[in-house]
Amino acid sequence: MQTKMFLRALALLTCLHAPALFGAESCEAEANWKASDTERHFVVLAGRTGVFYERSGPTFVMLMREAGDEVDLGAFGVHADANGHPAFGAVPASEYEVFLSDPAALGHTKSSAVMLRLEVSGPQYERVLRVLRTWERRVAERALLYPDFALDNILLVKQATEELNRCRQALVPYELDWGLDDAISEHNIALRIPFEYFRELKARNVARHVSDAAMPAQLRMATLTAQRDPQAPGTGKIK
Amino acid sequence: MKRRELFVGTSGNTCVQGTRACGTADLIPNVALRTHDDVPVRFYDDLVKGRQVVINMMYANCEGLCPAVTSRMVEVHRALAPRMGRDLFMYSITLKPNEDDPAALRAFADMHGALLPGWKFLTGDAFDIDTLRFALFRHNHIKFDLDPNFHAGQLRIINDSINRWVHVTPLASKATVLQHISWADPPKSMEQRMQDNRALQDEIGREVAKYGYRKVI
Repeated sequence: MQTKMFLRALALLTCLHAPALFGAESCEAEANWKASDTERHFVVLAGRTGVFYERSGPTFVMLMREAGDEVDLGAFGVHADANGHPAFGAVPASEYEVFLSDPAALGHTKSSAVMLRLEVSGPQYERVLRVLRTWERRVAERALLYPDFALDNILLVKQATEELNRCRQALVPYELDWGLDDAISEHNIALRIPFEYFRELKARNVARHVSDAAMPAQLRMATLTAQRDPQAPGTGKIK
Repeated sequence: MKRRELFVGTSGNTCVQGTRACGTADLIPNVALRTHDDVPVRFYDDLVKGRQVVINMMYANCEGLCPAVTSRMVEVHRALAPRMGRDLFMYSITLKPNEDDPAALRAFADMHGALLPGWKFLTGDAFDIDTLRFALFRHNHIKFDLDPNFHAGQLRIINDSINRWVHVTPLASKATVLQHISWADPPKSMEQRMQDNRALQDEIGREVAKYGYRKVI
């Protein structure tokens, strides 16, 4: 009987230590990548509170790419729909443009908004974009993984941030896994978890945050355009 | 400055909380898969609709849990041989679709003596496999759900005709696994139930005559 149990435990252990099943992608592209003055990539982790009925708010991952006079912008995650209800999907420009500038620079309190802007390599940008594209497909095909999209958004932010660290440590991580040591998941409702996760990442990576002044001219221009029109629908003043 | 939006936000690709459109469209996804014989199938329409099925997840190069689970399933298949392929089916879905093509699955099945009637090994697109894995085996717990190995140690038994879902660990005894499969059996007719009850009463009577009390419960 004991031998049988030992063999079962051994079988479990062997299998549980199998290499990670997903994302066994080569890091060669990242190792060979050369930074360029003409093309820059940014990943922005953005969120705020006090928007939805239970005091949580939009939380999403934003991507920014500047190449010459071209700018690619987009964000995906939880945001407020036209009626102010939580929605999951492509974030409207009016909502993510709030985070083109540092919320602190616009005079918003630290407790109600968080924004961590990281400059990343081309391969890192592509990997995060691939994560967001997968979620875009899941939304389009109604193939979300959970009945409550708050959990899907947790997976999205976890996958996006972990992709940054796949080949080298781009940011000091926080283990968001609902494990025993994960205080954020332990003490917050699902819709609020990504915000608290971003806030923790910001605290751990404040030195890596790219300030407004350090942003490339084209993206600064996009920022200025966004600021110039504060009455745009959904621009949502941060309290 | 040319500005390009990476994602297009329309009502078609946004889910709003509290609407049915947000959840998975189907309880059992009807994704396109390929069998170990390289036959294209639709998971729900071709394999599950109206049937009683036993489903597990595995991958061909898993040296720990998967062979143990497959071996238990072979035992279960032997015990239920008359039903297999007629009103009961087994499906083993790979967790590593990028590595396990139909040929690799066929080799795995052959190696474990699992090329049996009513039992298919399935592979497909990684996106669809993840959708299927979460629909059938998710625990609504990020840590467990992100560990595919956690899903390899489970059997999902579904009887679609009566919409009954049962779950059992394949590492339980064969008797326990068989019992769980029977819980998803189609309802018996009154005549069949009376016959079963009479047989059980006879058995109890024999035990009581032999030991003075009912020994086996």
